[in-house]
Amino acid sequence: MDQKTMSETKIETTVHGMMAEFTTVDSLLSACRRIRDAGYTKTDAYTPFPVHGIDKALGIKPTALPWICLIAGATGTCIALAMQIWMNSIDYKYIISGKPYLSLPAFIPVAFELTILLASFGAFFGMWALNGLPKFSNPMFTDPRFDRATDDRFFLYVDASDERYDANGVRNLLADTGSDYINEVVEDDSPKEVPKPVFLIWGLSVAASLVPLICILTMRVTNSSKPRFHIFFDMDFSPSKDAQQVTSLFADNRAMRSDVPGTVARGQMEESLDMLTGIDVEALTLSDPPRVERLVRAYMQADDEAKAEEKEAIEAEEKVAGEAAEAAPASVMDTTPWVAKNPLTVDAELLAQGQQQFAIYCSVCHGMDGYGNGLVNQRAQSINAPTWVPPASMHQETLYADKYPDGKLFSTISNGIRKMPGYAGQIKLKDRWAIVAYVRALQKSQNASLDLVPESEKAAVESAVAEVKAELKRQAEAAEKAAAARKQAQQ
Amino acid sequence: MSLAIPNGLDNTVERPGERAPLVLGETTYHDITEAVCKVAERPPSKGWIGGFLVAFALLQVLGLLIVYLIYTGVGVWGNRAPIFWGWPIVNFVFWVGIGHAGTLISAILFLFRQEWRTSINRAAEAMTIFAVACAGTFPGIHVGRAWLAFWLAPYPSLNLWMWPQFRSPLLWDVFAVSTYGTVSLLFWYMGMVPDLATFRDRSKNKYRRMAYGILCLGWSGSSRHWMRYEKAYAILAALAAPLVLSVHTIVSFDFAVSQVPGWHTTIFPPYFVAGAIFSGFAMVLTLMVPARKMLNLEKLITIRHLENMCKIILATGSIVGLAYGTEFFIAWYGQVPAEQFAFLNRAFGPYAWAYWTMVSCNVISPQIFWFKKARTTPWIIVVVSIFVNIGMWFERFVIVISSLSRDYLPSAWAYFTPTWVDWGMLIGSFGLFFTLFLLFCRTLPVINMAEVKATLAKQEHMAHLHGHGEEASEGH
Repeated sequence: MDQKTMSETKIETTVHGMMAEFTTVDSLLSACRRIRDAGYTKTDAYTPFPVHGIDKALGIKPTALPWICLIAGATGTCIALAMQIWMNSIDYKYIISGKPYLSLPAFIPVAFELTILLASFGAFFGMWALNGLPKFSNPMFTDPRFDRATDDRFFLYVDASDERYDANGVRNLLADTGSDYINEVVEDDSPKEVPKPVFLIWGLSVAASLVPLICILTMRVTNSSKPRFHIFFDMDFSPSKDAQQVTSLFADNRAMRSDVPGTVARGQMEESLDMLTGIDVEALTLSDPPRVERLVRAYMQADDEAKAEEKEAIEAEEKVAGEAAEAAPASVMDTTPWVAKNPLTVDAELLAQGQQQFAIYCSVCHGMDGYGNGLVNQRAQSINAPTWVPPASMHQETLYADKYPDGKLFSTISNGIRKMPGYAGQIKLKDRWAIVAYVRALQKSQNASLDLVPESEKAAVESAVAEVKAELKRQAEAAEKAAAARKQAQQ
Repeated sequence: MSLAIPNGLDNTVERPGERAPLVLGETTYHDITEAVCKVAERPPSKGWIGGFLVAFALLQVLGLLIVYLIYTGVGVWGNRAPIFWGWPIVNFVFWVGIGHAGTLISAILFLFRQEWRTSINRAAEAMTIFAVACAGTFPGIHVGRAWLAFWLAPYPSLNLWMWPQFRSPLLWDVFAVSTYGTVSLLFWYMGMVPDLATFRDRSKNKYRRMAYGILCLGWSGSSRHWMRYEKAYAILAALAAPLVLSVHTIVSFDFAVSQVPGWHTTIFPPYFVAGAIFSGFAMVLTLMVPARKMLNLEKLITIRHLENMCKIILATGSIVGLAYGTEFFIAWYGQVPAEQFAFLNRAFGPYAWAYWTMVSCNVISPQIFWFKKARTTPWIIVVVSIFVNIGMWFERFVIVISSLSRDYLPSAWAYFTPTWVDWGMLIGSFGLFFTLFLLFCRTLPVINMAEVKATLAKQEHMAHLHGHGEEASEGH
């Protein structure tokens, strides 16, 4: 603007340009073409919706927006990759399910999302920036009919700064295009003051939004030794009571509670004392109360000292009994009232269990058949182990149920005898009783006659016996032959 | 409601060689402005007030339960060993899925030049934003100490001296859902700016004019602005389309990347996306069919719009059904015993009731849309779309709960029972959703006026050409 127009603005309002109103898209488009062909470049159309073909009709150049978007998107990819690689592969390495520190496949999703995010920001903010928005004041808004530009009317505008601008010429040209409303666009002289309540509300909301920030900042700089704030208690204050405190929760006001009757605490026994020891405790109570007390201490209260004492006592008894047994078959010294009968129900299942356990733990010395010639015994005999005491045969009469009660057999398995250690630690309680049952069955089997076998299975047993006999015979013959061959070879 | 479509409102007849009108009746540009602006300008109806009060009350339920949860701890939920991902994740995946239709209608249908999207995209996008808000609530409060949820953000913390774990799908989720929410919001808002300018120009009240004036950023309708605006819109649509597909894909990674039988499957990404579109369209229909009636927008949201959405529901519902079948096939074909058990357990185990609810709602009920009568009858559409919403909620329930309740170790099996807090939060989240949606109806343009006007202009232009053609043929 030159000096002359500057001075004119002081007297009258500035003219920004000329605009014309149209009612249809087609009339607007033809008007645009005419204005463009007339050589005007600083023109614009205002429409309630995007009119296609108007870029050409007005001579609008394509926008650089896609490039902004591309650059923003690429920036997003780079930021995402750099961030993830730096954070998880360089600065703070940690192994998660063996994945490599720098695992690009795992970084793709976040890279993708940030690419989209930044590209979208590029498109969104780039568009507003290129459009010069937000801009709340526009001289076009001064026109009373311009409100319809967002409703159903189309406006064509020629800016006064265009080189060819001449008010009358433009007005005539626009009138020629068929517009019935043409008006000069002038400076907006409406008051620019924002109503006071808006400031008030804005100020109040700013002040309110500062409150939490100030609270946090105050808490961060405080020197107090007390916790900064306790909105969430987490586990800082536990509601549990100490042992000697009082409480109103219970009638006796004691915080500390005694066991509920019938409670079995950890380490307390799970079976009856009879079953644990193999001793008829009721009978023992009559004859030897101190020993019952010791048993209770040993088994019920897991008193190791009492247990050791009891074991010693049994061992001493066994020793005496063992020596006596050589002299007289009946044990005169053994006064313990042993449980006479296996407390478990003896059935095929229990016997199978006992057989399995016997094979695992007992057969190494006592042999699979219980005759006392297990592999350990054979080895000890062959090397003439000096301290070896041969294991007992299960089939001697002194070990039969009438002379050696089940309880005593159980106690022997549990506590050991002579060279045999106690197996209470290795074999479970019920398994020990199962072994007892199996030993009884083993003993019975050696003296059983064929009439005891049920008729239906007799044939099977007989054939099995025949098979075994044939096998033994074959083996004996083979051994003989081998011996003969050896002899021949030696000669 | 009768089955008959009012005279002059039926645009579902296919006429070869001619496009069905998308704006009905003798409608002018101004009529469109009037119809849409009136929704926000006239005083609220009794129905709106009633609905708003109910929704707002439910929102209070959600708010109070969140306070209760944060104050007491997540034990108030039914999440117990081994189902630590219980109800809240079901709700999260459900709501994220609902959100998908909005962006899909706006972006993918825009890219395919499907002009019937114009009168439904605004409300659908709004629905997206609100659904994502509902979805975001659940993982936000699902972390044990919700007030430390910001630790998920990769910011240089002076207290922790450590960074988040970017190899975890759960962190991908944070980025995916927040990016999705942000981009959807930008897309929605940008699309609304020209219409907000219409609102501004129609405002009589000074404050109203100022509020809309600020919101529309001084939009004037300049053609130079429109040109860049359309370019930006197209770019955003092109960016949002893969984003929509990625979001539910990443949500499905939460499951697929784990080793839990029934989750560890490659079908999850496409299956989740199809389900999301399915549920999203169902929610759009649930909202739009009553809304078009109550807001008198039948000329703009026509039966054809509803019919098209029903067709999409039919297609995606069948895809979802196919996915259910494929899961069983792969379980059998893969010969992994744990996987086979997981699927048999889904269909015949303790959650069989949920599984069969899901199948009947999702696979069977949309099949009614093979019939044109059903596709064009509003009340049938509403009923089916509500069924689909229920079914899709159950789909997420079945996936999350049934797999976790019985995985590899029978010693770690348990049955999930939601608590009253779980129920309250699910119902409360609907309160949040509907409160926002009802507020949106009252304050913002529910239909994209500018785009509908452009569609109308095109329609008139085509009719004009057609008319000329007729005249020409008469002349010869």
